[in-house]
Amino acid sequence: MSWFNEFPHMEDDSLRALKQTIDEGFRSFTRGYGDSIESFFAPLQKFLLLSERLMTQTPWPIIVLMILAIAWAASRSMKVVLGTLFTLLAIGYLDMWDDSMRTISMIFVCTVLSIVMGLPIGILMARSERFQRVVNPILDVMQTMPSFVYLIPVVMLLGIGRVPGLIAVVIYAIPPMIRMTNLGIRLVDKDVLEAADAFGSSHWQKLKNVQLPLALPTIMAGINQTIMMALAMVVIASMIGVQGLGQPVLKAIANQYFTLGIFNGLAIVGIAIIFDRVSQAYGQRLQKHREIVHG
Amino acid sequence: MKEKTHVSVTKLFAATPLVLGLALGAANVNASECGAVTIASMNWASAELLAEVDKFILQNGYDCDASVVLGDTVPTLTSMAEKGKPDVAPESWTSLRPPITQKNIAEGKLLIASKSLTEGGVQGIYIPKFIVDEHPEIKTIADALKHPELFPDPEDPSKGAWSAGQQGWGGTVIASQYYKAYNAESAGFNLVDTGSAAGHDGSLIRAYERKKGWIGYYWDPTSLLGKYEMVRLSSGTAYDEAEWNRCNKVEKCPDPKPNEWPSDEVNTIVTKSFADRSGPAYEYLKTRSWPNALVSQMLAWMADNQATGEDGAKEFLKKHPDVWGKWVSPEASEKIKSAL
Repeated sequence: MSWFNEFPHMEDDSLRALKQTIDEGFRSFTRGYGDSIESFFAPLQKFLLLSERLMTQTPWPIIVLMILAIAWAASRSMKVVLGTLFTLLAIGYLDMWDDSMRTISMIFVCTVLSIVMGLPIGILMARSERFQRVVNPILDVMQTMPSFVYLIPVVMLLGIGRVPGLIAVVIYAIPPMIRMTNLGIRLVDKDVLEAADAFGSSHWQKLKNVQLPLALPTIMAGINQTIMMALAMVVIASMIGVQGLGQPVLKAIANQYFTLGIFNGLAIVGIAIIFDRVSQAYGQRLQKHREIVHG
Repeated sequence: MKEKTHVSVTKLFAATPLVLGLALGAANVNASECGAVTIASMNWASAELLAEVDKFILQNGYDCDASVVLGDTVPTLTSMAEKGKPDVAPESWTSLRPPITQKNIAEGKLLIASKSLTEGGVQGIYIPKFIVDEHPEIKTIADALKHPELFPDPEDPSKGAWSAGQQGWGGTVIASQYYKAYNAESAGFNLVDTGSAAGHDGSLIRAYERKKGWIGYYWDPTSLLGKYEMVRLSSGTAYDEAEWNRCNKVEKCPDPKPNEWPSDEVNTIVTKSFADRSGPAYEYLKTRSWPNALVSQMLAWMADNQATGEDGAKEFLKKHPDVWGKWVSPEASEKIKSAL
């Protein structure tokens, strides 16, 4: 009855051989292609370094004014701008300015990358049922696979630092962008599309002038979620050497520095709220705009 | 058959974790004698192996309800002193202990049971052996720092990278102080926080596989050093204890000086309540101590066979009864042999 009490599993030796073969294969892959893969990601690394230098080396009053201007342009709400100002000043006063700027720069690059890659994939998914059937399970894997599982091979290929961190964050943060783009386009009214057809729009015109504008509020919600998930990954990313607010958090965990942990944790929350309020307010303004045009 | 099932069911009701209950189902166990023992496994391989060896021996030789929990040195020792859980930290390195633990030991809240590693642990600044073969003039840390081009930082190849380790390791603090003591910054090195054990090892493996240099904090015995040959660089000075305690191991101390990294006493630490309640099990922990060479050999076996700490523990117990036979009573020894 041993097979009944204990799950009959693959023989230990063959299982070990299997694991060893896969590991060995990966190791020779690293040796063979590591350098070329690294040079493939080199432009990304330059972009990351550039953005970080911009954020950390620009004098703080200019950064504050810049962020406030963006907040005002997007939300047109004095409340949001004042909240942003207060959060930034508190972060700076508690000596977390540099780390926060590094984190914001990282989140910014991750979000841009997620939008640039996620938008076309979402559009393709909305157009093709078959593509959607293929992509959906991949998105499920990306959202549930524990990050360290794919961080081990990424670190062996690219070392530690910003690029592997970026890959980890984008893998986790891009699914909402893709899903919401897909959903937004699919929810566009069939009658409107028929009208566009009747006026003789090409596929491209239909996408650019009808589907994307109507899907924009949903897409904005996707961007918002992408930013939130990217921020949630800050601590994980710092485990492979990404500088920013995650590192003091790790230090606090390891040494039981309660206050240090709370301060840096709250700084992450503060940045998240700024991003969230600003992008949501922008999304709502887009919706208002739509109501005026079509209402 | 029926009786066996009965045993495992009672054990389940005694709030034993399910897996443990089933695993123990076959053994004739009276768990009340020694009680539940939690053993802290640290997140490096030698500690994991020792924790599993202790678990197997306590469970089968001394009828304890042993279980292993994962943790890092500082949180584990703090929790042991404050909460009395876990009961045993099998491998605690002196230099990694926070000051509060020394105080707890002095107060009697925590007890040092034995030296886990007979020779103690070796820590220091390591570089790959092939670098030393190509550049035999590199013997000390100061020599290596003359060549930032040999240890390129992947993010900024014009500089060298000094990999100090993750936040929270005591060794990281010392390695960062070394960075200051040897003026590594003006020598053209960046101080790299590798973030985690996986990041630290990953950065080393990546460099080694591509025949690039790597310089940073490492320690022995480890399986990684068995697989990738590394050389420990000498500090070029003698050990000065007062100076070491004043500045080398103090984070943010502004003026550390070059100093030799002393080898470390590695102890088994137990809580007071464990020592009081579990006589024979505590006696076993007091005698248990194994040589570094054997540990490295076991770790290399584990790495070659992709074995877990549990597999490694079983392999050790099967292959080296002469070693662990001295740790346990003859009666316990028989029980362990039959469990194997």
